[in-house]
Amino acid sequence: MASVYKTLSADGSRDKDTAERKNRQRVLILSSRGVTYRHRHLLNDLYNLMPHSRKEAKFDSKTKLHELNELAELYNCNNVLFFEARKGKDLYAWMSKAPNGPTVKFHCQNLHTMDELNFIGNCLKGSRPILSFDSAFEKQAHLRVIKELFTQVFGVPKTARKTKPFVDHVMGFTLADNKIWIRVYQVSESEPGKKKSAANGDDEDVDVAPKKKAKGGEFDVSLVEIGPRFVLTPIVIQESSFGGPIIYENKEFVSPNQIRADLRRAKAGKYNRRSEAQTDSKVRRGDLGLKTHGGRKKEKDPLSNDVLFA
Amino acid sequence: MARSKLKSALDNEKGRNIKLQKQRKLEKTARKRREKNRPAGGDIGDDEEGGIALAEEAATQVNGKSKKDKKSTKSKKNGISQQEPEWETEESDEDDLEGDDDNDGPERHGLDLSRLEDSDSNSGDSEDDLEADEEDEEDDEDEEDEEDIPLSDIESLASEDKGDVIPHQRLTINNTAALTSALKRIELPYSKLAFSEYQSIASDEPTEIPDVEDDLAREQAFYNQSLQAVKDARVKLKKEGIPFSRPVDYFAEMVKSDEHMGKIKQKLVDEAAGKKAAAEARRQRDLKKFGKQVQVAKLQERAKEKRDTLEKINLMKRKRSGADITTTNEEDLFDVALDTETKDSDRRRSGDGKPNLKRQKKDNKYGFGGKKRFAKSNDAESTNDARGFSHKKMKAGGGAAKRLGKSRRAKRN
Repeated sequence: MASVYKTLSADGSRDKDTAERKNRQRVLILSSRGVTYRHRHLLNDLYNLMPHSRKEAKFDSKTKLHELNELAELYNCNNVLFFEARKGKDLYAWMSKAPNGPTVKFHCQNLHTMDELNFIGNCLKGSRPILSFDSAFEKQAHLRVIKELFTQVFGVPKTARKTKPFVDHVMGFTLADNKIWIRVYQVSESEPGKKKSAANGDDEDVDVAPKKKAKGGEFDVSLVEIGPRFVLTPIVIQESSFGGPIIYENKEFVSPNQIRADLRRAKAGKYNRRSEAQTDSKVRRGDLGLKTHGGRKKEKDPLSNDVLFA
Repeated sequence: MARSKLKSALDNEKGRNIKLQKQRKLEKTARKRREKNRPAGGDIGDDEEGGIALAEEAATQVNGKSKKDKKSTKSKKNGISQQEPEWETEESDEDDLEGDDDNDGPERHGLDLSRLEDSDSNSGDSEDDLEADEEDEEDDEDEEDEEDIPLSDIESLASEDKGDVIPHQRLTINNTAALTSALKRIELPYSKLAFSEYQSIASDEPTEIPDVEDDLAREQAFYNQSLQAVKDARVKLKKEGIPFSRPVDYFAEMVKSDEHMGKIKQKLVDEAAGKKAAAEARRQRDLKKFGKQVQVAKLQERAKEKRDTLEKINLMKRKRSGADITTTNEEDLFDVALDTETKDSDRRRSGDGKPNLKRQKKDNKYGFGGKKRFAKSNDAESTNDARGFSHKKMKAGGGAAKRLGKSRRAKRN
């Protein structure tokens, strides 16, 4: 009876308000086929950090990405985080608001998973992170879109099913070198008095400080990194979800394929230059008559013995 | 080459815009060059003034260009000059100045005149113009290509050329209007939401990282940004009454399992142990270096001590016996001591310590050394000698302490 009463009483007035004010997000996390173990581990780490996410089996297509929309709908997800592996080494991350976009495609670099980073930080599985953005995200339109997407994808909504209370980790997004660097830290609080007294034996200072802070309810906050680490380079923003016109394209992005090809070509170029120089010098020597075969015949020296004493 | 085709197609569509621009550019450079050359050409003088005028005339008359003039640039310029009359005079001036630079006035005159004579009739002009036009177009293309070549081609260029080339970038699309509309579509109503709903904070000032490659500074910047965000968020959350810090007795599943944390801890411990071991090893190495010297010094010291005590004892003995100390020679004392010592040491030898005569002869003949065999084997005397025997050593517990291994002995000293 109590529950019935509760639902009845709750329905009437509050629901309208709260529905409007609620932040409902669900993220579908999945990867394409051909990911390496590191990519998979990164995906697992993110899945662990995001209690509002739903993991799916590897997606089998790299061209028909629009099918992901249906998949998201199937699982009631309004965000999709899709990792696309190329050539078994490059990782691209697609972030999309599911039914009607926008979609951002990132190139994922420098990724280190929790497993390989031996950081001592740890946090509750399912606690909600604080998202810390660089203020540079506010400056440009495409960065604002990206920031909004990050907030919705990585931010855990209050009402998500598996969340735990308390805020014990922070996720940092920083723009540097036109790339977005992502770090996850644990928030560790310690009473400043203890720490200080351990650090230095000066009694007066230590006694005064904590009293002041204790009144304000302040603690010393420090961060301990948890992992994973990765860097995202925005490449393209599409207007709708996995489709639609391109509304932003990063001109400075050079695809890793291109870089590899350039490196190879540079090596080949070296060889080409050398062999060219070789043929050049051959021809030149031929023209000067320094060669036995081919080229110009050497002019007869009018003062040579053959001429003088013929 | 597909690119260049595309480009030419585009040019055709646009008309001759690019060409016109190119001409403007050429014009500008020509003007500049002229201005630069003016002071240099000025001193060559008045007598050339007429020559220049003549040349000008010649240029204007000929204009279409003689076929003998093989310089492509010149033909090009003339082609252009027909198209744009205002530029013509400048162009001709330009030509003259080039002549001035060559610094052979009279010869130039001759050349110009000869050109005048040799120049074709007007009938040839139109053809030439066409050719010139074509060339012009080609040049345009080439120059376009030079202006931005694909990034991939840079590597194959020589290093000294690299500086001049601007790598072409992909077409930029940055549709701000569409971006803002997309943002508006998905944006959460932040003004209506409580902070605890989204928990996202933007820093007040941009995180500045001077060098991205500098790991330490970079990570420090990230850390500071996050720390500031945490502090701000903490205040806001406290205001909204949201529990922030996890109580010590709240246990729940963590992101990293205990197993994983154990592994990390083990790694830390191992690392610390490794460091300690390395330090210890280094200390040992250093000790070993000096150990030998120390040992030698110690032995010498011991020997000295022993000598001193013996001397003292002898002195005492003599005093007791009442012998005259002053008369005794130091050397005698030494000899005596030596004698007794030697006698003591080879007590095994029978008699007065000398082998038989035959042996002595043999020693003389073959050198001293004597028999080496059986030197350590027992004989009757050694068998009867029971001084080394101790029944204590045979008992289990009470025997002499076991000799430790070398490393432990080294440590003990």
